[in-house]
Amino acid sequence: MNARIERDNIVTQSLGQIGACGLFLLQILAATPRSLRRHVRETVRQLWFVGAMSLTIIMVCGLFVGMVLALQLYHVLSIFGGTAATGTVVAISIYRELGPVITALLFAGRAGTAITAEIGLMRATDQIAAMELMAVDPLAYVAAPRFLAGLIALPLLCCVFSALGIFGGHLVGVTWLGIDNGTFWSNMTATVDVWQDIISGVVWKSLAFGAVVALIAVFQGYTAPPTSEGVAYATTRTVVASSIAILALDFVLTAFLM
Amino acid sequence: MNAAAPSDDTLIRIRGLTTVLSGKKVFDALDMDIPRGKVTAIMGPSGTGKTTLLKHITGQMRGDAGQVQVDGKNVPELGREALYALREKIGYLFQNSALLTDFDVFENVAFPLRQHTSLPEVLIRNIVLTKLQAVGLRGAAQLAPSELSGGMARRVALARAIVFDPMLILYDEPFVGLDPIALNQVLKLIRTLNQTLGITSVLVAHELDAIKQVADRVFLIANGKVVAQGDPKTIAGDGSPWTRQFFGGEADGPVPFQYPASDYAEALGFPRSGA
Repeated sequence: MNARIERDNIVTQSLGQIGACGLFLLQILAATPRSLRRHVRETVRQLWFVGAMSLTIIMVCGLFVGMVLALQLYHVLSIFGGTAATGTVVAISIYRELGPVITALLFAGRAGTAITAEIGLMRATDQIAAMELMAVDPLAYVAAPRFLAGLIALPLLCCVFSALGIFGGHLVGVTWLGIDNGTFWSNMTATVDVWQDIISGVVWKSLAFGAVVALIAVFQGYTAPPTSEGVAYATTRTVVASSIAILALDFVLTAFLM
Repeated sequence: MNAAAPSDDTLIRIRGLTTVLSGKKVFDALDMDIPRGKVTAIMGPSGTGKTTLLKHITGQMRGDAGQVQVDGKNVPELGREALYALREKIGYLFQNSALLTDFDVFENVAFPLRQHTSLPEVLIRNIVLTKLQAVGLRGAAQLAPSELSGGMARRVALARAIVFDPMLILYDEPFVGLDPIALNQVLKLIRTLNQTLGITSVLVAHELDAIKQVADRVFLIANGKVVAQGDPKTIAGDGSPWTRQFFGGEADGPVPFQYPASDYAEALGFPRSGA
């Protein structure tokens, strides 16, 4: 009986959080025109912070993901004598799934946690209240710029991740394992479809993931209890909730976009 | 206790304010009139809702009943735009300074000007440096908030609160953490702002000696009501049990020192006498 009550409480709390997060999204969207009109410099500053500052981790991880993918695929495909398709499979895997998903997971870990911790501490140290008392709307000055920055940065970071991933695949496949350079590129360009693979994967999925991760990060920071423990839990929740949301949403989007 | 009769000289008029937080009645039909152009101090034991009262005045909190009128506007009824328009005319000094940690001292003080005006940079610079000079921190303009002591941060927050020359400044514990030199300068500054610009000041503070030097009127609140009010130089001797206990620093009186708890001896495990 107690286990059932506990389970019901968890379900109720989770649904309540999702509902509150949805209402928070509406508040951010309502504040966005004001934010762009009055605080566009803050959005640019956040774009630098969550986008440009995440470049190193995205580039390094993209390179290694492409390298390991090419290495694994080469050995599997060589069983069937199909090593010429290595470039194609690397590119399609990265464009459709690995690029958007891994970029979003890395983004949640690198930028999402930073956003949550920053906003949570701003609330704990009364900086958000100070803004309200200086007649500066924190939704327009704090929340909306970070949400927009996440929305814009993730697709751009995914492009960089994908490019570095394919470069890594080329490095292993062509330079190391000896696949013909012309075959690697020509098979890839002949098979990869711009709309099916690049637009639906890199663009649409990244935009959706960017919106979800940025929303969760900002929401968790904004609603974090103003204590050290509260901010710590909120930061953890950002990673957990973002990771689950990214993978669940990936399945749903793939089902619709296929 | 009834507040003074309302008049046009009243900037903040509170009537029947009742607020219940977590089942505890913080304000119980509180009445208060804060005069325009004067320095008013709000005193009271810890936890009586002095900061909460400031939050009602700025519209950060709304009571369960009653009115809080500031400059003729009933704050709980104001919409977002009207409330923000009112807040542009109010300066607020936080207990913990609440400086924006992303910016240095100069940018913290310049923040309200940048957000609400399109003044040229040279004018913003002059205004900010004037305010920083007034609090004695012009030389610290380029420091980060993390490099400031608590007292310095409070003075920067004070410079930010007065950067717009507001009609009303609310000071939440302005004297905490100030050394005697800074305390004296802040007292002078509050007085000067009041006398030269006619700014109304409301202070929440515990330091009676400082309040005697600067305030025109004192309200003592306890148990959700105004229990005494009057001239700061004479209020301590008005003879009421509230003022006698509060200003005398006595543990016994109408304000309990101990938070409600079970029997002390029982909690320590000692046998009750006579048992």
